[in-house]
Amino acid sequence: MALPRWFPVARKEAVALLKSKGTWILAPLLVVWGYGPTYESWDVLGPNVTVGFVQVAGSILLPLGVLLLTYRSIIQERTSGSLKFLLGLPLTRTDILIGKVFGRSVGAVLPFALATVILGVIGGVKFGLFSPLRFIGVFLVTVLYIVVLVSVATAASAVTTSTVRVTGALFGGFFLILTLGWKRIGVSIYSAVTGNAVNPFEPPADGLLFAILRFSPGRAYRTVTNWILGTGNSGGLYTSVIDVLYRGISTNEYVVDATFSGQLVPVYLHESLGLVVLLFWGVVPLALAGYRFKRGDLA
Amino acid sequence: MTPPAIETDGLSKQYGETVALDALNMTVAQGEVYGFLGPNGAGKSTTINLLMNYIKPTSGTARVLGHDPWNDVVACHQRVGICPDRFETYESLSARRHLELVIDTKRADDDPRALLERVGLADAIERPAGEFSQGMEQRLALAMSLVGEPDLLILDEPFTGLDPHGVALVRDVVEAESERGSTVFFSSHVLGQVDLVCDRVGILYEGDLIVEGTLPALRDTCDLSSDATVEDIFMTLTDGSAHAGAVDA
Repeated sequence: MALPRWFPVARKEAVALLKSKGTWILAPLLVVWGYGPTYESWDVLGPNVTVGFVQVAGSILLPLGVLLLTYRSIIQERTSGSLKFLLGLPLTRTDILIGKVFGRSVGAVLPFALATVILGVIGGVKFGLFSPLRFIGVFLVTVLYIVVLVSVATAASAVTTSTVRVTGALFGGFFLILTLGWKRIGVSIYSAVTGNAVNPFEPPADGLLFAILRFSPGRAYRTVTNWILGTGNSGGLYTSVIDVLYRGISTNEYVVDATFSGQLVPVYLHESLGLVVLLFWGVVPLALAGYRFKRGDLA
Repeated sequence: MTPPAIETDGLSKQYGETVALDALNMTVAQGEVYGFLGPNGAGKSTTINLLMNYIKPTSGTARVLGHDPWNDVVACHQRVGICPDRFETYESLSARRHLELVIDTKRADDDPRALLERVGLADAIERPAGEFSQGMEQRLALAMSLVGEPDLLILDEPFTGLDPHGVALVRDVVEAESERGSTVFFSSHVLGQVDLVCDRVGILYEGDLIVEGTLPALRDTCDLSSDATVEDIFMTLTDGSAHAGAVDA
């Protein structure tokens, strides 16, 4: 079977990323960021606490790193003029976008994979053998999350005409609002729509509130990984979920099992639907950007 | 009958109120070496950007080797080699990687080293392009344009940033490619080199093709002696008003 037409572009993107220092600086940072055993999580998860480290590595630092490694992928080529080489090849503009996303994803997954292996080895040695299935499951969902992030960053990079704008849209809009601050903003949106004030320490058992919170790609990612890890139905970090569910600590983390205890949980709050949210973020921004990228002037 | 290498009909590009190219009608036959001349800002790069699908036209049509350059881009670019103007190469990638990108995408079987030898860069094959001088980058881009024996070679300001050896090299490459049967379409605001390589020239001025033909025919048109250069023809046609733009730029 012949390789797809865009494969050489993807290879070039991956090679360029793997030759940059930033890519490899990310790996040890993710290890340090992810590794954080606590007595409480050990009590609940046992050796699987190591799987939790991978989730922490995949939160906040990983999205920031992946966005940093990707946000200039097209705008930089556009301003430098090297895009003229890519556009001059026998490729459609869609091929170019796909090659970019694929190649950058490979380039970003490799340092994360290295960090995962290191976390697995350290965790395995210190806390015993964890469930390999859960470990691989969380790893694979994180790989999906990386592809989603690369896709969003490539989309932003493809439609803006200046580096300043793509920086603002991605780091101000996507990262700050949707990834870092969504718990607060999502709740504000819920209150604005329904008129219900929300006490974060005792949130209402309203499916809409949780659905809005889950729309954040980061929270969707953690919902799925918490599901695999078996901690609980929540978009919070596994450690916060354990605090709420197992230690009875009242925190401002939103956990479905705690809020809906004894009540029927709406079907659409099932953890697996976090995957649908991730797919939405992986496909929709890129498709919209591709529509414009295909028609626009690029030189 | 083989279609023309390039054919445009009323091809226009406007940016807001600014007319970059005004209803260009131009035909370049296959096998020709065509010099596309004019001062900076005349619309040469706009034309090439349109033919290469870097930008979309405001109105008009174009065919490149019989293909629609905007909707049939894969088939079209499979047979076109481009050496763009105002570009940077990929700084972390070696010269070899640059050529492999083009060779593999075009599914050609060229040897990267052989191509680099043609442009005098074989020694730098493993060096990252970030270390290259402007002249070396220009040579690399020229090598990339030669991948897959294109039927149409488009060179946008190929003499820019080259020393006299580089200029002679571009001329040799143009002659060799023309000998092979390829059409060569190149733009230049430097008029000196053009007499030596072109079968035919077109002069673009303020978005309009003001004259086109073989050099002897143009000399006749302008009532100039047989040793008149392209520059003389150009000066006559533009009353010298474009002179400053043409040489300083």
